[in-house]
Formats: sequence, C-alpha cells, structure tokens
Amino acid sequence: MRRIIQHQQTPYWLRNVRLEQGYRYENDHITGTISELFDLWIEHGKIMRIVKTEDRNISDSLTVTTEFANEGEVELGMPISDRDAQGMLLLPGFREMHIHIDKTYYGGPWIAPTPPEGIFKRIAEERELLPRQLPHAQERAVKVLSLLQSSGVTHVQTHCNIDPQIGLANLEATVSAAAQFSQSLTCEIVAFPQHGLLRSGVVAEMKEALRRGARWVGGVDPATVDNDIEKSLFTIMDLAVEANAGVDIHIHDPGHLGTFTMNRLATMTEQAGWQGRVNVSHALGFADVTEAMQVQLAERFAELDISITSTVPLNRWMPYSLLKKHGVRVGLGEDTITDHWGPFGRGDILERAGRLAERERWSSERGLAETLGYITGGITPLDDQGNVQWPLIGDTATAVLVQASCSAEAIARRSARGAFIYQGNLVNG
Amino acid sequence: MKFKAGLTACNSKKEARRGRCELDNMDSTDYWLLNVQIERRYVYDGDAVRGTETELSHVQFREGVIVRVIAADGMNLINTDGEQILAGPAYDGRGMLMLPSFTEKHVHLDKTLLGEPWQAVIPASGVAGRCEIEKRILPQLVTPPLQRAELLLQHLIEAGSTHIRTHIDVYPEAGTKQLEPVLNLFHSYRHQITHEVVAFPQHGLLRSGSKALIREALQQGAHLVGGVDPATMDTDLEASLHLMVELAVEAGAGIDLHLHDPDYLGTYTMKRLAKLTVDAGLQGNVSISHAFALGEVSETEARSTADLLAEAGITIITSAPHGRTLPPVPLLWEHGVNVGAGCDNIYDTWQPFGNGDILERASRLAERFAWIDERSLAQSLRLITGGRETLDAQGERVWPVPGDSADLILVDASCAAEAVARRAPRKAVFSKGHLIWDDQTGHRKVHG
Repeated sequence: MRRIIQHQQTPYWLRNVRLEQGYRYENDHITGTISELFDLWIEHGKIMRIVKTEDRNISDSLTVTTEFANEGEVELGMPISDRDAQGMLLLPGFREMHIHIDKTYYGGPWIAPTPPEGIFKRIAEERELLPRQLPHAQERAVKVLSLLQSSGVTHVQTHCNIDPQIGLANLEATVSAAAQFSQSLTCEIVAFPQHGLLRSGVVAEMKEALRRGARWVGGVDPATVDNDIEKSLFTIMDLAVEANAGVDIHIHDPGHLGTFTMNRLATMTEQAGWQGRVNVSHALGFADVTEAMQVQLAERFAELDISITSTVPLNRWMPYSLLKKHGVRVGLGEDTITDHWGPFGRGDILERAGRLAERERWSSERGLAETLGYITGGITPLDDQGNVQWPLIGDTATAVLVQASCSAEAIARRSARGAFIYQGNLVNG
Repeated sequence: MKFKAGLTACNSKKEARRGRCELDNMDSTDYWLLNVQIERRYVYDGDAVRGTETELSHVQFREGVIVRVIAADGMNLINTDGEQILAGPAYDGRGMLMLPSFTEKHVHLDKTLLGEPWQAVIPASGVAGRCEIEKRILPQLVTPPLQRAELLLQHLIEAGSTHIRTHIDVYPEAGTKQLEPVLNLFHSYRHQITHEVVAFPQHGLLRSGSKALIREALQQGAHLVGGVDPATMDTDLEASLHLMVELAVEAGAGIDLHLHDPDYLGTYTMKRLAKLTVDAGLQGNVSISHAFALGEVSETEARSTADLLAEAGITIITSAPHGRTLPPVPLLWEHGVNVGAGCDNIYDTWQPFGNGDILERASRLAERFAWIDERSLAQSLRLITGGRETLDAQGERVWPVPGDSADLILVDASCAAEAVARRAPRKAVFSKGHLIWDDQTGHRKVHG
C-alpha cells in the first residue's frame, strides 16, 4: 500500500543515497560511471544539503536511522527525520507524457481489442463503450496512476476524452482520480477531442473542460479526422490562447500530410507567440519523409521549442537521433495500458526508455545514460561533459530510488524501483 | 470443491493451511495437478472471436505423461469400481491457467555477463571489432562460465521454457573450450530440460578456419552446425554454404545459420541454402536465425523466397530485436514457413539488454504485427511452444490430450491471449511431469 512515510513539512535526512559523479575513461572512451554515497537534507520540498556520507557529522542526525523495511514496526509519535536509501541510486522523477487514464480496461476483466481497422472504428466503439465504462472510470484511473507510480513516475500527462457521448464525465473522473494523488504526483490533463474537434463539434465542451481542470488543449489529425487542416489547427490555437493553456495534439497523419500539418502548426505557434507551449504527440510523419524534410521540420520545431511525445512504435522508424541532434525535445509515453486500442502497455516508462535505447542501438555507457533524459524532461545527473548537473542544492526534491549502480544500468536492465520523493514527500515503493 | 479424506493431497497440515500442496517426493512424476484452468473453446460474436472459455480442471500425470484431464465440477471422486480416483500426491494449481511449456530457440549461454557487475557495451567499429572485444573480455571475467550460463538458464526456465537451443562459440583462440561448461550444465539439468547445442563459428566458418573445430564440437556433443553471414563474413558465399552443409551431412546433424546479411544479399543466401538443403536431403533439419533480409525486400521477393524456404522445410527463428526490421511473420506463415523465437543475446558484450523472457518476445511480435485481438494473440503463442496450440483454428481444444508429454506451465492469466498481451507472471514450470520451478520454492533439481 503506497503512502507518504515522510512528509515534506518536517525536514529530514535521506541517507546513503547513490549519486552519479562522473564518467570513468580509458583512452578516449567511457568505461563506466563513477558514483558515491551521499546524505541529502530535504527541507521545504527541496534538496538543501548534499553531504558525502563518509563526511557525515554524527550530530547532524537528530534521531535514529530507520530503514523502509522497518516501517511497520515504528511507533507513531516517535520523531523520525532520518531515512536510509541503502545505497540505492537516485534519479530525477520519471515522466509518463502520453496516456489515457480515463478510458481503460485496466483493473477490470481481460478484454482483447477488436482487430485494428483504423481510427474511425475505434471512435465508433467509444460511442457505446465509454458511457458503459463510466461507472468504473475513476476507480480504474486511480489504479493506472498507482501502477505508474510504482514504476517511478512523478509526472503524468493524460489525454481525457471530450466527446459528444461522454461530455465532461471522463474529465470529472480524471480530476477526481488525480486529486487522490495530489501529494505524490503531478497530473496534467489534456482536454482531448478524440472524435475530432470540428468533426464532433465539441468546441464549447472543450472551453468548459479548460475551466474545469484541463490545462492543455488536445486535438487529433486535423487532416484525416477533421478534414480541414487550417480551421482545425486555428481552433486549437484559439482555444489555447483564450484559456492560456498549452497545446498537445495527436498527429498520426503519415508522410507529407503529417509534416505539412506540423509545419502549419509551427507557423501558428509562432504567430500566437506560443513557443515552448506546444507539443505534438506521435508526429509519425517524421518517420516517412526524406532526411531533408526531417531536418527542415526538426529545425523549425527546435527554433519554436515545439516538443514531441513518442510511444516508440515498433512499426515505424522515428528519427530520434536526428531529432536530438537538431535540439528537439522528445518525451515518451505508453499511450495505453490495456484498452480497446491496444493490450500491451506495462505502465513502466523506464521499460519504454529501454525500448528506445534498444531501437536506436544506444548500447554504450553514455548512450544509455543519455536515454534517461527522454523520461525525465531532459534532466540527467551528468551533462554531456560528464559533470554533475543534478541534483544541485536548491533543486526540487522529486526523484526516484533505483536498484542500479548508474543510470546506464537502470535503462538497459530495467532495474527495480523503490521509494520515491515528490516535492519532498517520501513515498514508499 | 473439497476432497474426501483419504486423498493425500498434502504431506503436512501446515502446507494444507497455506493452501499449497508440495509433492512429498520431488522426483515423482505420478501425481495430480489440481485446480488449473484449461482453455476449452473460443467465444464468438458472429464470426469474430470475443473471448476464450476455460474450464477448471484436474490433470493426472503418470511417468511424465498426461493420462487424464477431468473437469473439476461435477467430478465423481469414486469411479464405477468403487475406487478413489483422485488419490495420491497432488500439486495445487490455485486456479492458474495451464499452457504448453515454451521453447527457447536462440540463446548464447556462453556469452552472457549475468553474474558480473554492470558494464555497458564498448563501442566497436563493425562486427570484426565486436568479435575482438568479446575475445578479449570473456576470458577475463571473474564469474566462471558455468555459473554465468546457469544464471541465464535459470532465467530461461523461470520464463517457462523446457527446451533450450543454444549457440556456443567455436574459434581458433578458444577451440571448443566454451562448449564444455555448457554441456556439463545441460548434463546436470538433463532431467529438467531438453536441449540442443549449435557449434557456432562466430568469427566466420571460412574466415576463422574453424572447419576442424566444428567437427570436433560435433564429436563432443554439439547437435547442429552453425554459421554466420556466408557473404559478408566468409566472402565466398557458395564455399561457406557448401562447407556448412557438408559438415552437417557428415555428422548427421542439422544446421542453424545466423543470417544478418541485408535485403537481396540475404534472400539470395537463403535461396542458395534452400537448394543445398534439398539436394542434401536435409529438409526439416535446417534453420535460419534472424533472416532480417525477408523484411527488407519487395513483397514479391519475400514471397518467392518464402516458397523456397517452405519447400526446403527451413525454419526461421527470430528474436524480435527492436533495432532491426523483422522478417514478415504473417507472410511466412501464409506460405507455410515454420517460425520460431528466441531471446538471443542477454546482457553480453554485444548488447546490454534482454531479460530472457521468451513470452515477452512473443508479445513484441504481436505488437509489431498488430495481433491485438483475442484470436491473433492466442495463436501467436505457437511461436514459442514449438507449434503446440491449446485451441485449433476452429477454436476447439487440441491440448492437452491424454498421451501428451507433461511439459507445461502455469500462468496468472485468464486465457492465452491475455498471457501473451500482458506477459503474464509464470507460476510453475513442469517438464516431463517433473515440477522444475515454481514461484514459491524456486528451482528444483530432479534426480531422474
């Protein structure tokens, strides 16, 4: 049962924490990662002191050190401000950047999807399925969030259906579910017009959703779903500007249809001044076009700080290395755990990062370590020179403890996760 | 359903209270497997399969074979002669789903770094460079080869495999040295799993001059002749293939060729091997591992190659790596080509990934080929069960039937489709009626 075992209101030491300190070199190449044990002083939700364990001053300890395993035996009322990380590696909290917690089979009986026949078949299924699932929506959303937490996720971006049949009901369920995790998880909600923003005529509902807990404007395939690229994109940007919200739009449309749509989105982003506030989910057009076209669009995205979320699909080759080289921010998401769209999700974003590293053949120590950035919003303990850049004193204490010697190992071996800290709150694993 | 007194289901009250029964004689193959779900038939909605019906059952083993399968409800404990049917030791399946055990068709037990502290892959310039690095590192490892191999073997068993095919490197610097620890390991596990060893000239059959070593390896107990990329490794593609076939015929052995060579070079190699296979009468004894080329050529080329593979009875083995284009399994099946799966390299000097879970490989293939519906997921299982299916194409039960060897696993899933999609936790593994692993007591040595 996951609970906060140390509240951030009381400052405390987190002892024996493994932190990466640099790379080990032989000739010119990296042979390993150097790490050491530290004690961290967590105060007001931030890491305020970082002291080498071997330099620990005994008088720093206010009370006895307690291991997580002994949690059940500790008496209530006994002042505790020491926690023992037992040498586990501390990494920045993980981020699940694309999921649909409002419409899932997870937590219910096994049901396989029907064979895939395109998006409109799924939309048709939803007209009947989502209202039928509604009584379970909140409970299952809670189960999914709980599953994500167990993989080390401290930040979730979930797309919530706003469609003519379900109205705002799934949003309510999502908001209520997220509220149960308010002290251990950031949950960003995207108002997602799955059936087509224009096609299903839900602009008014989207505006309402943005007043009722959604902070992102979603969308899907302005071309093949809405049949009007300009109007669809414009309506999305308009909603975003009016509500002062970000944009996170699903663009599956392939080839140059996809890249054309994304170029138009880039232009509107610039016109609206929405740099840094626009994300494209999937962006599959990148996988189909020439390198020249990939570069053109990547450069535009980088210039306007438009980010991408990818699920690392197995039937397309997204140019991750090219995107990285041109400075495009890419995050990962699993999309589904098990629902009417797909049955394969693990609820483990570290697994997805490992899949990315395997796909791109980033097998070296550095290649693997850098893969971590895809699931931490770009934060890695070491920068590309191998210097420590996280954690630094004053950093928000949102991090996860992992049973690994370094981030490279964590990615390659999908190391076990333990407890995590969310804005100073220590939560058992 | 409660059992009448007289049924020695548990050898201690403590175990009975825990709700688990242990076999009082670990080497026994005469007992009942109680309370397992077995697939009965598909549930249809018109023509579409919407679910799978299972039946809670009891299964009787005798001398490593399934002799009886009874539905749990409505069961008579006494037969018409007044004898107690369900008597003797039993294992409680706790309502888990029973499936055929798995077949691991491609690993390298001699290469794994499992047991060693973490080390990432050292960047290498090409395959030759990679081979040099491996030759340097393997002999320096602290964990002995037998121990590393056993760690991996245990992972493979825990994943549900009761048959393992491993490639073992032979090359001049090591000779056949890497063979011995693995053969010894298999010998000590001989009552637990079945195995095949491929004598694998990792550095090129011709290129490394390993002809005599392959012969020696076959004499020492290897079952198959290996090979790798006749074109790009050995240069003389024809000579390389001919030698491989010659060695196989001489020893009465099969062949398993690693083929990474791309697109039309790869399919050309496959077609030449198919011809040599038929000429030598080796149909059914030849496999090609990886065969990426099949996914890199035109559909016409893939289909014509597939026909030749099917005629020659050549099996394609894939490890479904994320980093390469996969052979088109649906197309291969359409043309009657047999396809198997393996995990390949698990945490070694070639790549740092891999967990030894063959069921995960099946789910990778299901995801790659969009086998997301109930029937497609269920049928994907045959990739990893050596072709055994629980339900036939009409959706009626074909496994288990009395007479089947008791090679099976228990998983926490409601049906095979769910087991594949969700990579269901494995709970127990039985091989020829022996319990060789379960999640409560771990690995069990069997003494024959």
